[in-house]
Amino acid sequence: MKKMILFALAVLPVATVSAQEAAPAASSSPAPTVSNATPATAADVEALRGQVQSLVETVKALQQQVKDQQAALEKANLTGESGLPQNPEPSPIAGAEESAAPAGNAPPRFPTEDTSVVSSTTAPAASSVPGVSASPFPASGGFPTTDTSVVTSTPETISSTGAGTSLTQPITIGGGRNYMNISLDGLFALAYSSARDLDHIEVGDHDPQQRGFNARNVELAFDGAVDPYFEGFANIVFKLDNDNQTEVEVEEAFMQTTSLPFNLQLKAGQFFAAFGRLNPTHPHTWEFVDTPLVNGLFLGPDGLRGVGAQGSWTLPLPWYSQLIFASQNGRGSTGFSFRNPGDDRMFFDRITTDREARGLQDFVWIPRFENSFNLSDTQTVLAGVSGAFGSNETGANSRTQIYGADFLYKWKSSHAEGGFPFVKWQTEFMYRRFQAGHGADDSFPVAETFHDWGLYSQVTWGFKKGWVAGIRGDYVHMQDSMFTDDLDRQSRWRLSANLTWYPTEFSKIRLQYNQDFLEENFFLSAREVESIFLQWEFILGAHGAHKF
Amino acid sequence: MKKILLMLSTLITCAFTAQAKLNVVATLPDFGSLAREIGGDKVNVTVLAKPTEDSHFVDARPSFVVSLRNADALIDGGAELELGWLPPLLQNTRNPKIEIGKPGRVQASQGIHLMNVPTNVTRAAGDVHALGNPHFTVDPIIAKAIAQHIAQSFSALDPVNAAFYEGNYKKFEATINAKLQEWGTALLPFKGQHVVAYHDSWPYFAHRFGLNIDIFLEPKPGIPPSPSHLAEVIAQMRAQHIKAIIVEPFHDRRIAEKVASATGAKVVEFSQFPGGLPGTDSYVKLIDTLVSRLAAALK
Repeated sequence: MKKMILFALAVLPVATVSAQEAAPAASSSPAPTVSNATPATAADVEALRGQVQSLVETVKALQQQVKDQQAALEKANLTGESGLPQNPEPSPIAGAEESAAPAGNAPPRFPTEDTSVVSSTTAPAASSVPGVSASPFPASGGFPTTDTSVVTSTPETISSTGAGTSLTQPITIGGGRNYMNISLDGLFALAYSSARDLDHIEVGDHDPQQRGFNARNVELAFDGAVDPYFEGFANIVFKLDNDNQTEVEVEEAFMQTTSLPFNLQLKAGQFFAAFGRLNPTHPHTWEFVDTPLVNGLFLGPDGLRGVGAQGSWTLPLPWYSQLIFASQNGRGSTGFSFRNPGDDRMFFDRITTDREARGLQDFVWIPRFENSFNLSDTQTVLAGVSGAFGSNETGANSRTQIYGADFLYKWKSSHAEGGFPFVKWQTEFMYRRFQAGHGADDSFPVAETFHDWGLYSQVTWGFKKGWVAGIRGDYVHMQDSMFTDDLDRQSRWRLSANLTWYPTEFSKIRLQYNQDFLEENFFLSAREVESIFLQWEFILGAHGAHKF
Repeated sequence: MKKILLMLSTLITCAFTAQAKLNVVATLPDFGSLAREIGGDKVNVTVLAKPTEDSHFVDARPSFVVSLRNADALIDGGAELELGWLPPLLQNTRNPKIEIGKPGRVQASQGIHLMNVPTNVTRAAGDVHALGNPHFTVDPIIAKAIAQHIAQSFSALDPVNAAFYEGNYKKFEATINAKLQEWGTALLPFKGQHVVAYHDSWPYFAHRFGLNIDIFLEPKPGIPPSPSHLAEVIAQMRAQHIKAIIVEPFHDRRIAEKVASATGAKVVEFSQFPGGLPGTDSYVKLIDTLVSRLAAALK
């Protein structure tokens, strides 16, 4: 109704003009009479009345015309017939716009507003400067240009962003009502191996450790914003040993700053050392069932992790370049090549000391420098060098140094669906210098310095949505020793091939074949081992996304 | 010495003028296109996802961290479409200017009524978005709201050019209002018709133009088409005389072709993103293309 009146108002000037044009012809004589100062007679009044009457009728006729047009338009109007959330009737806003638009515009046909989709935000703005919107593009109106059914409410200030999100609640599940991501990840494997000591052939603690079924990694993961300054992460791993007893590991639990200046970030708690590509990641993200030999034998079956602190700095360069520096206690089996008393207090045949840190030299110091470049729109390269330096427990002043270099190349199609297809090539090389001392109380007759090195290189090909084929080569060279007969000091290599099907990103099924070759050394004879694994995984709940 | 000083001063001026432009990062090409409409030559826009790739699964490339670190503004969907790749980037970005709550952060879904919000969030239903369907920019009325939101953000960050941004928004609004007449008229003859899509990305487009895009080649969002489901779709298409199947650049077109040949329907290549189809470097051109392609297929 309001719209109609506005319309009428817009049309009125035109109507009056045409009425004035008509008037002189109809009654040219009375007009001069009025202009003359002669007193008004009853006839004059009558004549005037007639004029007014005719004017009123003209206006009425025009109004009717407008009404008819309106009705016709409404019939044609799409919104009226839409079965979906109704668009409003031609709204006052639209009317206001029209009134501002120069009269004689094409009348409304298709709505250009829809309050059912968009908040009233646009509405006030539209009416506040109608001239701007109307003058250069006169054809407004018609199709609704607003829709309150799609746009909800005016953002009062832009700073109050996010539907129900706040700083302490950046990661959401179930419609943004939770403070953190919580997920459970179950990783299982059915294993067959020609070796009876699979727990020795497989070097990772979360790898299959026995023929038959294995449940080595059932993991609870939590992450979320602690407050405006910190984010928190925790991974609690439940592991069933070969006697089906449950072991619990606090694999990671740390906090991390979110808004330090100068591109700095600090992290503190229990965490994986940022050494190379694979070490900082959790087994369920791995592309193979098991740990590469070099990772398991140098950084340890559980990876290099521990309680400590880490600082990182992304350099102000045009490409991605980051320096990371961490310090950890490096004590126990998760500091494998460092202050690790070993099983039954033996490491590399030495009786180990197990002592408090004497000073800074007894911590593990872990620097890393990584750089990434885009070779093209679809190709990315990431290369890094890492180090880990500290003491070990095989002698009074025995030191360990591990150096690493890693390289990742990834191609992903510019028309990727679900992240497929892609090709990824990842390689890590490590060199370890290990001073094996005389053991506790100088009980071992010789001191040796081992120069060990190893690498793995793997290519994975996501050839079809959900399907990945992979191939990996492993080699570890352990310096031969006439004094140390530790089983882990056997040089060896391995070839692996696998095929993985991801029904979705929350589940996977993987078949892998391994061929292991263990080389002869002073104490051990050569052997060849074949293994087959069927691995499966599920993820429940909200699992935080992974880094590149 | 003077020469050196002169060079230095020109360098500094260059640096300053370069800095005068707002650095804007948009997660998706549609937001990037709107940012360009509003920002014009006063902003540098970097878009993370490619228009031709599946925006649910974008690699969190390290170079994105660099773009985000240098950003004065970040425009993201805010409706969990980028859930798989934006959070790890932001964790490593360390840029307080683009935190949620700052004027430098625009979450496009703010103020938008998302459609198809699931009452019961279960992954048994496939790749369901808890906050509702996040493919909303293809509704031009919603695009206007996002553009306005972007203009407000730019004006707050760069008050000197506020009038410029406001003016560009008004221009964009008027263009869309005018174009809506054209688009609405072009699709008016097909009102109420059913259209098949590969993935459920088009409820907002359908809503706007009175179409029913409610049959999908995917049995559930994100789940690849199965033969039994396709047989059902073919039967439905025959029964309802459906004439068009919408596919996006990253979808397996062969599957759609198969269904099309079994039903006599046409495969129509669509994209949610400017740049996803040839000749669609702006938002308006994209919708132009979508409307004309669909109208041609439905004729």
